[in-house]
Amino acid sequence: MLGYDSIAELQGALSNERYLVDDGLGTVVFLALKLRRPLLLEGEPGVGKTELAKALAAVSGAPLIRLQCYEGIDVHHALYDWDYPRQLLQLRAGGSTQLYSEEFLLRRPLLEALSRPNAVLLIDELDRADDEFEAFLLEFLSEFQVTIPEVGVYKAEQPPVVIITSNRTRDLHEALKRRCLYHWIEHPDFERELAIVSARLPHIGRDLARQVCTFVQDLRWLDLYRAPGVGETLDWLEGVHALGRDELDPVTVDRTLGVLLKERDDLDRIRKQDIGGLVARAQEPPG
Amino acid sequence: MNAPVSTTWPTDEAIVRAAVDFARALRTQGLCTSVDSENVFLRALSEIDVRSIDGLFWAGHCAFVQGPDQIDTYKLIFERFWDGRPLIVGTRGAEHGESDARMEAASHHGGEAMPQLGGKGKEKVAVDGESHRSDRDIPNAEGEDATSDQQVGVMVAWSATEELSDRNDMAYEREELAALRQLADEIKKAAPERSSRRQRPSPRGHRFDVRGTVRKSMTTDGEAFRLGYTGPRPVPRRLLFLCDVSGSMERYSRVLLASLKVAVGAARKAEAFVFATRLTRLTKSLDGHDFERALEGARAAIPDWSGGTRIGGAIGEFNRSYARRGFARGAIVLVVSDGWDRGDPQVLASEVKRLQLQARRLIWVNPRPVALNEQPLAIGMQAAMPYIDEFVPGHDPRAIAGMASLIAGVDAQRPHRRTSPNAA
Repeated sequence: MLGYDSIAELQGALSNERYLVDDGLGTVVFLALKLRRPLLLEGEPGVGKTELAKALAAVSGAPLIRLQCYEGIDVHHALYDWDYPRQLLQLRAGGSTQLYSEEFLLRRPLLEALSRPNAVLLIDELDRADDEFEAFLLEFLSEFQVTIPEVGVYKAEQPPVVIITSNRTRDLHEALKRRCLYHWIEHPDFERELAIVSARLPHIGRDLARQVCTFVQDLRWLDLYRAPGVGETLDWLEGVHALGRDELDPVTVDRTLGVLLKERDDLDRIRKQDIGGLVARAQEPPG
Repeated sequence: MNAPVSTTWPTDEAIVRAAVDFARALRTQGLCTSVDSENVFLRALSEIDVRSIDGLFWAGHCAFVQGPDQIDTYKLIFERFWDGRPLIVGTRGAEHGESDARMEAASHHGGEAMPQLGGKGKEKVAVDGESHRSDRDIPNAEGEDATSDQQVGVMVAWSATEELSDRNDMAYEREELAALRQLADEIKKAAPERSSRRQRPSPRGHRFDVRGTVRKSMTTDGEAFRLGYTGPRPVPRRLLFLCDVSGSMERYSRVLLASLKVAVGAARKAEAFVFATRLTRLTKSLDGHDFERALEGARAAIPDWSGGTRIGGAIGEFNRSYARRGFARGAIVLVVSDGWDRGDPQVLASEVKRLQLQARRLIWVNPRPVALNEQPLAIGMQAAMPYIDEFVPGHDPRAIAGMASLIAGVDAQRPHRRTSPNAA
């Protein structure tokens, strides 16, 4: 059950699941739970939008129901479908059962979320779906109910916690935003990133973690095409650690840079620039 | 920001008053605060400790802010409002291109003090020194390289040496409006499409439609006599306009803007950007039914009319902030520019190349008259050349009808390219 009396309590619970939220995100999540409103999260790729939903599900012990959006997703992928082969068999067998009844209903993520109490529903990358699907979500998000013409109205007894993420490949509709609380997740600053990294990968030495975070923080200032997110920082740190290094050195950085940067132009740019300099900066003792 | 504001709990009435005033203050700066979001804000206040300025900040943040571009405005208003200082803001609050009567009012009476708590401060502080140029500041064209004698299409009535000094009245002649309407019609007709992942019942489709088949067999006692099929549903392909409005393009900009407005309205899916030294997204300003008002709004939204040109930089900005989010993917991209670039041609080349890799077709419309073809192209143009699918030289943007036929001419086939990406 996701009832918290204070923001600090919620932050504490999430950090037990190794997900660290700052005061801003903490307040917004707290309010989303209290007001029972969907939470719309936007931010650069890799800042932990999806992870938040996972962490929330973990702290509440509730199932995480995930709906990955894509172009062309429609009611039958998101909400319900009829089990046609079974219906057909039933019909041919001459059974007298109602063909359009719950018996033949296939529950897709949205319907699933309504029928499970306290579920955490993640609607991931909603911007990938098209306008029609967004419009379809409106009833669901404001009333936590859906209408299936053949059966009737489904309403959640306990509305699910809904997290919606978007990468802003297009603007979401005003009407949808109005139904949600909004939060933009920034890249974390150094201290926070180090804390996240230490919480997620506690077995890796703090020196290496510190160097990796410093390096990544420097990269984010460089106006790259695709600045690395926390997700990449974690991958990279694990990668460097897997190579048995406990300190950054230019050769290792050069060889593993592909874990961090996924654009050829960015890679070229950093390699042309002085990797040694960046590494030296990262190796400077703190303070 | 961790210090609590006060130790006493304010009365409900005071909270509601302050919240409504705060929402009003935000509204004057173009943040969309509906009664709905005020409601959310108030409900949020009832859940948090309202004496904490941090809590207050984030409660308002999640209720009123709807995009990263609004965060700075929100921060500004928040600080000023709860500080009790006058809220003098000279800049537009929302993202480039938002046209909103409320904002206009805000920028016109920039000195107006907004509702606020307290009222200790009397000092008038300009929030941002960079006030945007008013309409009258637009300088005239300078250093025109040639007059166009290659006018084609419906807009020939317009003089090439048209004086742009009194562009303040954006009144368009009747013939001009007729020509624009024709453009709208042609773009509607041209309407390029692509097939989407969504399916629709189609007798010629290739995917077996279980749903349709079962439904049909209900009438035949469960016997599937007629099989149903589905095929992909066509959806409009995005049109992307990137127009140069720098000094060297100035004499086209009036009609270019009108054409953009019409094109964005007519196409089922279109985005318009203009650039000089920086990039401005115009789609939202150009949207709307009132023609003149939309154009006024769009003009006001462009911070660098007739400035210098940094095509490479502007396209780079597009690539970084928009193309990365998929704006150009599969789109028909029309760049209208003469290629006069004060930036680094290397940058221009690499940015155009990047853009081309995402676009379905990259069309570059160069208004430089054909008569000048013996002279070498602008350096920027030369640099961009290898990465352009379709180069249209000597096209007078005033011949706006040509734009539609260009778009219609781009057929579904992919262009031959990418075999030698390093060709220079």
